[in-house]
Amino acid sequence: MNAVARSLSLGLLLASAGLAGCAGHQSSEQALQGAVADYQKVKEDTNVLRSAPKDVIRAGELLGRAERLSSYIGSADDVSHYAYLSSRYSAIAREHSKLLLNQEKLARLELERQRLQLALREAKLAGAQQQGKWAEDQVISLSTQQNERGLVMTLGDMLFDTGRAELKSSANRTVLKVVQFLQFNPKRVVRIEGYTDSTGDSEVNLALSKDRAQAVADVLSDLGIEEDRIQVEGYGDQYSVDSNASESGRAQNRRVEIVFSDDKGRLSAPR
Amino acid sequence: MSFLLKIQPVFAAVVLVALVGCANDPAPTEQLKLTEQAVAQATAVGATDEEPDLVTAQTKLTQARVDMADKSYKDARMQAEQAELDARLAEARVLTQKSEAQVAQVNTRLERLRKQLGAGQ
Repeated sequence: MNAVARSLSLGLLLASAGLAGCAGHQSSEQALQGAVADYQKVKEDTNVLRSAPKDVIRAGELLGRAERLSSYIGSADDVSHYAYLSSRYSAIAREHSKLLLNQEKLARLELERQRLQLALREAKLAGAQQQGKWAEDQVISLSTQQNERGLVMTLGDMLFDTGRAELKSSANRTVLKVVQFLQFNPKRVVRIEGYTDSTGDSEVNLALSKDRAQAVADVLSDLGIEEDRIQVEGYGDQYSVDSNASESGRAQNRRVEIVFSDDKGRLSAPR
Repeated sequence: MSFLLKIQPVFAAVVLVALVGCANDPAPTEQLKLTEQAVAQATAVGATDEEPDLVTAQTKLTQARVDMADKSYKDARMQAEQAELDARLAEARVLTQKSEAQVAQVNTRLERLRKQLGAGQ
């Protein structure tokens, strides 16, 4: 009786193991097929092969292991496991390949950027010389003064069209001077601050002041100054330097100021 | 009774083999360290919980530690091995995304430069 009971329970156990094995087998078969497909894709991609050969080899080895194990009974878990690992290596290989392609692309774009920066600098220099009106620049860069905020250069209102953020070409010489100064003083950084007069909506003024400051920052960066040396602030109609009651006062208040750090790179705090 | 006597040594042998099988799986200490390093590395390059593969890696690593404490060394090893690659994939994805953002940024700058050069002429 005892023996019968035991063999019965053994039979049940085997049957349930068989069923579980079957279910496990199905999902492991799926995982295996998935891994085969993933591996096939990376193996045929010359870019992936070139940039991540080790990952592809690992994917292949693990796939081989999963395939060998799949011929044994009761190995479904191991098959799934190694198939999973193989698929992951294929995915990692694809990512590494994308990364390398992007890095190569970046290197090409960077060269192009340097070429264009040089061309732009030459164009601006030629433009400034053609104008031949250096005096205008004296007006444009109204003043460079040393105060408690450090060395501050003021770019006047006439460098921008009314309500627009783009810097006019009459700013070329001033901008080139700033670029040259920053290139000779590689540790110095700048904060570019935009200001407007009090006419109109203060939200709009704030946005315009920020955009104008950003436009100056963009030109500096276009001419080869690293972006991490340039901070940008917009103050809208705050901190006026003259009365907003007169037209000449308002013109004074519409300005972009470039605050230079000292030669150690220490910049005064923003307002 | 004689039937039982006959079957018992076989049964004992099977149990023994099963036990040996268990005992033979060494504690995957090295693999766990590797996995921890991979997760740390992924986090270091900026992978966050928004990266599903990193979350998977962390979950599996936690499970591996539980298995380790239970002395289920095979399960621990499998979980840890999978978690390592999940973390490596998360790391690779983050690096790819960063490089894509860089490409986009340089392209914006180039566009601006071309526009300025075009406007100047």
